[in-house]
Amino acid sequence: MTYSTYTCLKVERHGPVGWLINDRPEQLNAMSATMRDEFATAWEELDADPAVRVIVHTGEGRAFQTGVDVREIASDGVGMERYRESLETFDLHFTAWHQQVWKPVITAVNGICAGGGFHWVADADIVIAASDAQFFDPHVSIGQVVAVEAIGLLRKMPVEAVMRMALVGRYERISAERAYELGMISQIVDPPERLREEAQALGEKIAKNSPAAMAATKRALWGALETGLTDACRAGAGELVSMWGHPDQTEGPAAFAEKREPQWVDPQATAAHED
Amino acid sequence: MSGATPIAVGSAPYETLLVERRGPVGWLVFNRPAAGNAMDATMLDELERAWRELDADPVVRVIVNTGAGAMFQTGLDVVQLSRDPDALRLQARRTRRAELRLSAWHNGVRKPVIAAVNGVCAGGGLHFVADADIVIAASTAELLDPHVSIGQVTAYEAIALVRKSPMEAIMRMALTGRHERISASRAHQLGILSEVVDPPEALADRAQALAEDIARNSPTAMAATKRALWAALELGLTDACRAGSAELVAMWGHPDQTEGPLAFTEKRDPQWLPLDAPPAEGDRP
Repeated sequence: MTYSTYTCLKVERHGPVGWLINDRPEQLNAMSATMRDEFATAWEELDADPAVRVIVHTGEGRAFQTGVDVREIASDGVGMERYRESLETFDLHFTAWHQQVWKPVITAVNGICAGGGFHWVADADIVIAASDAQFFDPHVSIGQVVAVEAIGLLRKMPVEAVMRMALVGRYERISAERAYELGMISQIVDPPERLREEAQALGEKIAKNSPAAMAATKRALWGALETGLTDACRAGAGELVSMWGHPDQTEGPAAFAEKREPQWVDPQATAAHED
Repeated sequence: MSGATPIAVGSAPYETLLVERRGPVGWLVFNRPAAGNAMDATMLDELERAWRELDADPVVRVIVNTGAGAMFQTGLDVVQLSRDPDALRLQARRTRRAELRLSAWHNGVRKPVIAAVNGVCAGGGLHFVADADIVIAASTAELLDPHVSIGQVTAYEAIALVRKSPMEAIMRMALTGRHERISASRAHQLGILSEVVDPPEALADRAQALAEDIARNSPTAMAATKRALWAALELGLTDACRAGSAELVAMWGHPDQTEGPLAFTEKRDPQWLPLDAPPAEGDRP
């Protein structure tokens, strides 16, 4: 599959792993209006590519992501007003979660992750980081409110750490090590130069599992953040049962018994089944 | 094992579980060690009966759940599932209707439940970690969720774990399937469990000792506390606090509330009232 031409992102595929790379290193990968639009397309393209089983998201240069491009906001005469409607209607399209990508998404934090950069930490399934990565949220230090990305984090990890980061603003940073202790990330890569290699390896490992089962599992688990426990389990049971009779459920145990890699049904071909 | 000689609990013998009482502690032990303690149709039936019997036994104050042999619990017995799918028809219907009766939570158990993870806990075995009040583990224990590696969806058990522990670790376990495991020490760091027991052989003694400590607290106050805290996973914060306040006030005037401070000042163990009779069959938490 050929991808569109991007100016602020790189979109690539290596084996079964699709890569989405923030590519404005001079601006610490800050999200300009153009980049924001490109994200929407990039997630859709990677989700639609049948060769892609898992998606890794990372950044070029010394930062992973630093949120909205403040320089653009301050100088273009339009500023944040450009985004008013999308926020008032909560109609966002720049993360995998916004775009309802049901393939597994790994965020690989390659350096500084600041402010709006947390959208892609909060909305990823799995987060790993280079040992020199740093996390902080300077919103309140420049008179901005932090809401959506911190709310996502609050549901996924200990609240106190997120609240402290939101209120201390630019005056403190969380290290990769502390992020690991808190369960915000599950792996620290050292030396940091090996981050992409490790992310690719993790992506390939996950790509061995049934795409249809992973998509239903993702829906069930993200659903757990939406409702009470009992209702979430009830909805999860629906996801579970929806997979009954799917060929992967015969193939999985058969491959295991025969000590071979399973041949899963092409995820795109199952789209109708999932709907 | 500390405490009294084990006494069998239950109206009829169990085939796939050991269900016994040691002092104030009820033990529910998965007992199919040759099958990794996997749940076959018989165990699925017996689990419901065992939780209800232990919850109803007035002598039992706290319940410990563990496994015989090298493993804790490895989920549904896929051997039986492939040979005799009809045997699991009832469970399939219950899964479809979201009416599982495997864990203490499913069965509305009011007493404190400690999961003592003695070894590998895989797939459906995670129900018993997710649904316990307290989890401790042998240093050799490992958690994994191979569902997606054999074309199965994981739902209930991981949904509850997502609500109780940092989500990313649970999502990673669910998506890496059989290709990664969480060690007991990492599970401890993440707060999935609160204690790692080393050497692993000391797990049962430690579980009994912890349960005996907990058994010194007011059964009625613990049951109300359990209801209040599990309800926090069902509701938004303000609604959960409102429901919790009701549990709190419901205890006012209960004899344990006079006995507790009195025993404290007299430097003696309090004499608590037993829990009220259990709710009727079929009630859900």
